[in-house]
Amino acid sequence: MNNFRTALTVYGKEIVDALRDRRTLLTVLISSVLMGPAVLVAISALVATFESRAELREVYVVGIEHAPSLKNFFERQTYTVKPAPADFEAQLRKARLADPVVVIPKDFEAALLRGDAPVVEVVVDSANQRSQAGAGRIERLLNGFGRERAALTLALRGVSVDLLEPLQVEDRDLASTQTRATQITGMLPYFVMMAVLYGALNAALDTTAGERERGSLEPLLMNPLDRWVLVLGKWAAVASVGMLIAVLSSLSFLPGQWVLRSDTLAAMFQYGWREASMFLVVLLPFAAAVSAVLMAVAIRCKSFKEAQASATVVMLAASLLPLINVFSLGSESPWYLWVPALAQNVLMTHVLKGEPLGAAQIGVPLGVCVALTALGVWFVARTLRSAAVR
Amino acid sequence: MIAIEHLAKRFNAPGPAHKGLSGFGRRSAPRIVHAVRDVSFDAPDGCITGLLGPNGAGKTTTLRMLAGLITPDAGRMSVDGIDVVAQPGAALARMGVLSDARGLYPRLTARENIVYYGRLQGMTADAANARAEHLAQMFEMTALLERRTDGFSQGERMKTALARALVHDPANIVLDEPTNGLDVLATRALRDSLRWLRSPEGGAKCIVFSTHIMQEVERLCDGVVVVSHGRTVACGTVGELLAQTGESDFEEAFVRLAFSADERAHHEVAGPFA
Repeated sequence: MNNFRTALTVYGKEIVDALRDRRTLLTVLISSVLMGPAVLVAISALVATFESRAELREVYVVGIEHAPSLKNFFERQTYTVKPAPADFEAQLRKARLADPVVVIPKDFEAALLRGDAPVVEVVVDSANQRSQAGAGRIERLLNGFGRERAALTLALRGVSVDLLEPLQVEDRDLASTQTRATQITGMLPYFVMMAVLYGALNAALDTTAGERERGSLEPLLMNPLDRWVLVLGKWAAVASVGMLIAVLSSLSFLPGQWVLRSDTLAAMFQYGWREASMFLVVLLPFAAAVSAVLMAVAIRCKSFKEAQASATVVMLAASLLPLINVFSLGSESPWYLWVPALAQNVLMTHVLKGEPLGAAQIGVPLGVCVALTALGVWFVARTLRSAAVR
Repeated sequence: MIAIEHLAKRFNAPGPAHKGLSGFGRRSAPRIVHAVRDVSFDAPDGCITGLLGPNGAGKTTTLRMLAGLITPDAGRMSVDGIDVVAQPGAALARMGVLSDARGLYPRLTARENIVYYGRLQGMTADAANARAEHLAQMFEMTALLERRTDGFSQGERMKTALARALVHDPANIVLDEPTNGLDVLATRALRDSLRWLRSPEGGAKCIVFSTHIMQEVERLCDGVVVVSHGRTVACGTVGELLAQTGESDFEEAFVRLAFSADERAHHEVAGPFA
């Protein structure tokens, strides 16, 4: 009981100390709280431009004068035909032109009549993502023209159009709207985890390497208290700061939804209180583990600066591991759950997809986090005394 | 009362790194450094005992062992009869230690710094606050109490650190080079405070303080322990040490006690800045 009171005293002091570091705290808070909405706005703006391009129903064509029949078809499909700029290739390469360009050969109509299948080019730059996105739409439009021509020709000769389509192909997309949305919102868990990491970083370094640098660790250990109690109090304070950031950044996506500019995305991105609380179930143990690991790394360092350099290894690992999930494109291996940072990313992606989390899915990363926390706290407590005098 | 008997401690210092690129990262075998070989002394209550020794004599290591930061290889230390190695917590509760490192928390006020240590010593918040105010009066730093320690001068830091070490009103006070970095007035104020703490009204504390400055010892100490090369080489009052060496100047007496004839000769030949 007495130990608990002492741990609470240490905790209280460290929290006050961390909260008075206004500038650092404010930077982390603002970036983590505003980050959610900011990322959402950026994504929704991108999606909105795709949508508005599709809604505009414009098609850029070079040499439309050679193809009156195609022009007629476009217009019947309520598309506006626009002449492409002369230097469209250069503009596409520089991403200044956001639409694919249709290039029609000079003898289009004559070749069509002869049945020579004139070549119509759809020019895109695959590095120019916006033009790439419109290419499918334009190709479907051109295929529509082709089918219409074929159907007319066959009908003239008294052949049933059905002969052309001996089989019917229909798409059945198994993905729910939310699953599809994760293709776009997949980066969000990554940002949230970075916020937690950077939130805990400063406090973790200050309570360990910072104490050594100030020369306050040696006098601190000259008080009659158990090292375990001291380390637990410090760790709890650091973890609290990390968890505060986790809570704030998870909640920041709730109002973030209101600013979505794309209706489609707003419909797909379902993030309510349930998702926010699931995020926290995943993030809180992670914040605890990260705090302990960062403290363990920093206690070996004599100065804040040295600790920052050492902590970079942890930060790098925590930012690279989730990329395994991002690049594996949804095919998960069971071992992902055993890797900290990666597991959290996997679970949060599941939450965004609207999939329920099983007990094992939550349990394994939780166990890993608890083990990491215990290991970190043990190491700090063990090293504390020798760190104080060196 | 603090009693130290035949204390010894050695460290494994890393050997010097090889020079040049080929030896990068390789080190020669670690050297063994005997920081403390054989230190013994008794510091009675109501007395100021000076631990006098040149730089690197082992004073700080001895005091760190006394504070439980380093476990000694051999020897015994007791504070009011409590063995420091066996019961470090109980011993620390009876000691106020101002260590070589005296860092404060810059984002906390002086009062918060002092009260934090009081709470860690098991005091209630009220008791710690009352004690902080009492100590602030004693060290004439009441005006500093509510200020953050960030911009404190050396003397102000020193006062705060001392108040922090004494917050639980310990019967034994251990100070490691307390006058380092203090100006004349601050040093005088500190001396007055220590004299008062030694007096029966001040609680007749047992005060141990390490220094390498002769005048401090002459002006303040009831007993002197001369430490050199990790050993206690002499014990007694200033007068006794003068008589023992047959010198009239305390500095001369100290040099005779602390350094061997060879060392003194070498120093004289090579000049003062060798």
